[in-house]
Amino acid sequence: MVLHGLFLGLPLAALDIRTLPQQIVNGLLNGSIYALIALGYTMVYGILKLINFAHGEVFMLGAYTSLFVSWAFGFTPNATVEPQTQVWYLLVMIVASMTVSGLAGVLIERFAYRPLRNQPRIASLITAIGMSMLLQYGGQLFLPNSPPPNIDAMINPYRGNVNITLVKSNENLVAAMKSAEQTKLTADSAWDAQKKLEENSFYPSAKGQALQDAAQKADRDYIEAQGKYNNSGVSILMPVGRIITTVVTFILMGVLSYLILFTKRGRAMRAVSHDFDSAALMGINVNSIVTFTFILGSTLAGAAAMMDATLYQPGLQINTFFGLLPGVKAFVAAVIGGIGNVPGAVVGGLLMGVIESLVGWAGYTSWQDAAAFVVLIVVLLVRPNGLFGSTAAEKV
Amino acid sequence: MVASIGLASFMATGCKKGSSAASGGANPSSGGDTSGSTSMRKPMEGKGNSAKNGVITIGLVASETGDQKPWGEDSIKGAELALADFNAAGGIKGYKINLDIQDSQSIPAGAGNAAAKLISDGAVGIVGEVSSGNTVEIANRGFKAGVPVVAIGATMTKLTETQNNVFRVCYPDSFQGGVMATFAYQALGLRKVGVLTDNKLPYSQGLSRDFIRTFKKLGGTIVDQEKYEQGASTFSTQLTQLKAANPEAIFCSGYFTEVGPIVAAAHQMGLTVPFLGGDGWDSPKILTSGGKAILGDYFCNHYTNMDNSPVVQQFLKEWMQKYKSAPGTTMGALGYDAMKVTLTALKNCKTMDSVDLRNALANIQDLQCVSGTITLKGNNGTPNKRALVVKIVPMGPLGFQQPVVAYQPDPKTGLPVKVPLGSAAGS
Repeated sequence: MVLHGLFLGLPLAALDIRTLPQQIVNGLLNGSIYALIALGYTMVYGILKLINFAHGEVFMLGAYTSLFVSWAFGFTPNATVEPQTQVWYLLVMIVASMTVSGLAGVLIERFAYRPLRNQPRIASLITAIGMSMLLQYGGQLFLPNSPPPNIDAMINPYRGNVNITLVKSNENLVAAMKSAEQTKLTADSAWDAQKKLEENSFYPSAKGQALQDAAQKADRDYIEAQGKYNNSGVSILMPVGRIITTVVTFILMGVLSYLILFTKRGRAMRAVSHDFDSAALMGINVNSIVTFTFILGSTLAGAAAMMDATLYQPGLQINTFFGLLPGVKAFVAAVIGGIGNVPGAVVGGLLMGVIESLVGWAGYTSWQDAAAFVVLIVVLLVRPNGLFGSTAAEKV
Repeated sequence: MVASIGLASFMATGCKKGSSAASGGANPSSGGDTSGSTSMRKPMEGKGNSAKNGVITIGLVASETGDQKPWGEDSIKGAELALADFNAAGGIKGYKINLDIQDSQSIPAGAGNAAAKLISDGAVGIVGEVSSGNTVEIANRGFKAGVPVVAIGATMTKLTETQNNVFRVCYPDSFQGGVMATFAYQALGLRKVGVLTDNKLPYSQGLSRDFIRTFKKLGGTIVDQEKYEQGASTFSTQLTQLKAANPEAIFCSGYFTEVGPIVAAAHQMGLTVPFLGGDGWDSPKILTSGGKAILGDYFCNHYTNMDNSPVVQQFLKEWMQKYKSAPGTTMGALGYDAMKVTLTALKNCKTMDSVDLRNALANIQDLQCVSGTITLKGNNGTPNKRALVVKIVPMGPLGFQQPVVAYQPDPKTGLPVKVPLGSAAGS
């Protein structure tokens, strides 16, 4: 089932219905990381009406913390013996990342934002941008970035997949695949035997060349038959590391919702978010609530950074700009969902992930980032307060 | 090599692939570097520097800080080794050679400043740099001042097309794309290949374009083309599309920084076909980010420590004696070669000044170097050198790049032709 069409005058690449379920799942898994970072933006905005542009850098600091902990466990770039990974390494890494990120968030609030809290809002906004740049460029002085390191991919113990079959592959094609496999095995073993006689198998003799050609032809036919069989079914493949990331994300979101909705501190947070001055008059320690909010948002960013760098997409290089792109995308997610609204941030994040995936599915992988911003503009035009933002008129 | 990581990439450090066609009138220079061919290379503007008080200053621009530090360090070591060898072999009678090293900070602006400093220091010629973006800045300064520049690893195709003071010791991008296509089609017997390009890097775009052109010309099919951007945190969308297209291999023209994670993710989702790439893969870090998945994949490179040829073995022996461990990157050998070419040209000079050095460089012929035989005469600054296809093997004392096939450009068509490994043939 392959559809062809036109989209805004651009020829759509072949739309392949069979990969659609996989791409939607990819998008949801990607989106959960955006959602986790977006929560930090949205909570701080809810309380302080401040867009904390340094949030992406808090994420970056969390990634560096994970890197240093992984080095402490022996996964250094110069390790001669590959160390064995343990699940508790990951627990130490995530706790350390959350702690350092939380601390960074509190310090940023205490020294950069609090002194300006009674100043016009633009002053805080400029400070936030300044803080972000200070960490990006200042961090280069003391964080290893020359050349940028990466967390060893082998620290991830979850390298398996979960496979869900939606439509079974056509069993009539099995016979063809099996026979192609048999031909391939015969041809390969003939060539392998000849390889031992060859000085260099990449410069084969005439006899070797013939056997190599036959083996390569059989390999191609097998890949063809195998692809035909696999593509006749529809299935969804989910790497275990990503499932864990998503599950942890949702657990953390659940804990957050509980904190906000059912605890005394959460009620105080909601009161401060509703009206800063009245809350202070009612005896709420506004400073401690703001600090608490920054701790919550920043620890979530720390957790996201650790999972992103080890479980989700291991091996990415870490530099002081590591938080830039995820930060921007999560910010967009928060705005789409209605900045200041916690469930909105989650939905916005997931939506962002799915949109990016679907644009790639349509054959425009180079337009993935642009598409997210197009959706942002559309949402802001249609619903200026975001999908879940309150539409109540602001009292002036 | 055109490595650029993180911030540097925003500053367009990467390679630009331009049209490789050179046409126009004969080179008005008297250097004789274009004998028999036509060129757009303009003669350099200034008069340059000359030896003072019996001291010839040769400048070296290298990334001593910043994200290209590993390449910078190796190119310095290589250049210093070449100078030591040259002096041990007698040097130039009556003159002392002074190697003046300046830091480019891995960014083009830094490279420009370093070149300006070297020119005011009285450098007769400049060696450097590794990335094309940095080299362009050095070349422009040298062109205005009249100082010749010998690039170490700048592969941007059009680098040497317009200024007659620019030379290099590496192959251009237009060649390595064709090498990998020829290797895929002829040596691996592949007919259906998917292509994955880093849309943010002109280097990657150019390389993919050259690969696709040659692969199609040979009779192969490109079943899918996907793009990602440097700094992306996930590649699942692209890999899902590629997997559905059922390719026999994937050509991935980006830098090792993303290639490692991409290959690891592909293997995890069951896409275990071979991956192929260019010299942007040249870093041991591809092993920590790619894990076991990357083993057995192939890429194109200038040099490898695991080359058995006597020249390379001799070079390695000297290097180990001086620095105690094998060179970490290809830039050690290319740095050595760039310096060797410069010093050899200097030896052929009569007046020991920049103009004379430029003409001598343009006349370098059949010089046996570590990364192959280099002829600059008649080649407009870019040698028609052989390229190696290397296989990624587990890390050993000599690195992880096992040479499998060597390709030499056909002198007439420029298309890659298979030549024996370790052969010193060709120009």
